[in-house]
Amino acid sequence: MEVKTNSRTGQILDFMYILAWVAFIGLMIEAGAILISYGVSCVNPEAARNLYKGMDLYPLRHYSFWHYTQSVSLIFALSAMKSFILFLVIKTLSKVNLKSPFTIEVARTLEKISYVFLGTWIIAIINNAQNEGLLKRAGIFIEDRDAGEFLFMAGLVFIISQVFKRGVELQSENELTV
Amino acid sequence: MPIVVNLDVMMARRKMSLNELSEKVDITLANLSILKTGKAKAIRFSTLESICKALDCQPGDLLEYIDK
Repeated sequence: MEVKTNSRTGQILDFMYILAWVAFIGLMIEAGAILISYGVSCVNPEAARNLYKGMDLYPLRHYSFWHYTQSVSLIFALSAMKSFILFLVIKTLSKVNLKSPFTIEVARTLEKISYVFLGTWIIAIINNAQNEGLLKRAGIFIEDRDAGEFLFMAGLVFIISQVFKRGVELQSENELTV
Repeated sequence: MPIVVNLDVMMARRKMSLNELSEKVDITLANLSILKTGKAKAIRFSTLESICKALDCQPGDLLEYIDK
């Protein structure tokens, strides 16, 4: 029964590893596309009409290039941070060994993921504040990002990392029991 | 840790090598080495029982409390 559960957990983790790679590549493409579209829009403002998947920042590009750059930087930063989180998830999943899963390396990576989530939350808040400011000053509407979910995830992953650290201690104790 | 394992002392008294003890108590050399060097965090009663049996001694002969 135990062997069956272990192999099933292994299969689930393998599946999650593949999913994480797919999501990571997707987010990297998103970040790259935003960056390239921005580069093109610097020369040709019309490119700002469809920055990525219909994201229209043309009114903002027309209003102020500086504000446009700021907005695109924040949107790019959000994509990059999400990619980085997935990179850390891939790193974690590649290090997990089901025979002795609690390692300090994995615990530290989990803690790092929670901090990156916190950073992403801060960037999302700045992005939303800027969008609000633009709506008030210039009447330009840019869709807000849901910042709360990043804070929620940061808290959740941080708690898991702390529990994991305790798991590392228990595993070490168990390994040193003769 | 204030608990000291005197396995090496008992082995010397009984003139028994680590290999010999390992064979008698059916514990790997690595685990016996952990116990001998004081790295162990815990010891099972079953392990203690088999070591006591092999070395013909009492648990008190193997474990000692030293207040540091």
